[in-house]
Amino acid sequence: MAIPLDGLLSLSGALFALGLFGVLTRRNFILILISVEVIANAAILNFIAFSFYPPSGAVSGISGQSIAVILIGLAATEVAVGLAIVLALNRLRGTLNVAEAIQLKL
Amino acid sequence: MTLDPATVAFVLVGVAAFASGAIALLSREIVHTVIFIGGFFAGLAVVYFLLSAPFLGLLQLAVYAGAVTILLMFAVMVVKRRIFAREAVLGVRVPTLVITVLVGFVLLDVAHMLTTPAAPYPYTSPGVMCGGGDPYCVTSLGQNLFLQNGAWLDLLGLIMLSSLAGAVHLAREWRTPSVRRIRED
Repeated sequence: MAIPLDGLLSLSGALFALGLFGVLTRRNFILILISVEVIANAAILNFIAFSFYPPSGAVSGISGQSIAVILIGLAATEVAVGLAIVLALNRLRGTLNVAEAIQLKL
Repeated sequence: MTLDPATVAFVLVGVAAFASGAIALLSREIVHTVIFIGGFFAGLAVVYFLLSAPFLGLLQLAVYAGAVTILLMFAVMVVKRRIFAREAVLGVRVPTLVITVLVGFVLLDVAHMLTTPAAPYPYTSPGVMCGGGDPYCVTSLGQNLFLQNGAWLDLLGLIMLSSLAGAVHLAREWRTPSVRRIRED
């Protein structure tokens, strides 16, 4: 017996809802970035869960792990760009409150 | 229903990871947020190990629990005058709560629908991940990543390179108004 698929998908759904809650409620740019990372991790967990339970007829579910590797790289890149935006926003506006950054042009 | 050790470990680690993420997003001290989010990433790495994905578990530990957490901590230290600076009180409004709870319920319902006996997703027995009897899947993962998904890996490299250039451009000092004024004078 192994970890049930519904448990994995439930954890993933709960993490997605948690990240969405953070994005919708927090005003600090760093906290919004962290919330987006929680959502990205929920998606990555889904890929790994479905690679653990491959569809019947498939030889293996290893493709899900490959996509997860690529997604982890993408999410790390997103953090780097997000933190560069944090630095620029803090230097130009003196705040990290997204409510005060209403212009896209820095 | 009998519970095997892997399932018990998954429940414990899953609850701990969710609680760590929730505390991180609800905490008012931003340093506490970064510390707890590191715990959240580490908890998910343990889940990946339990799902027979040790390479991804190590990647999660190195990239997320290690690099991203340290990067976030440095960002906090650079940006904040006082590191233990409290954030404004969380303004939770009713529509936000309703949206979050609805999305959570829909996702849990989808998870339940997919795994009922008459499931629309007919999956095989768990753990059938690697052909050829590779117990740790790393060889299979490498072959799949570099042969079948090699184009995606190239694309990821290009995206990382361009985002590195973009990040350096964004963080350059000449964008500061005072520096720009000095240069114009």
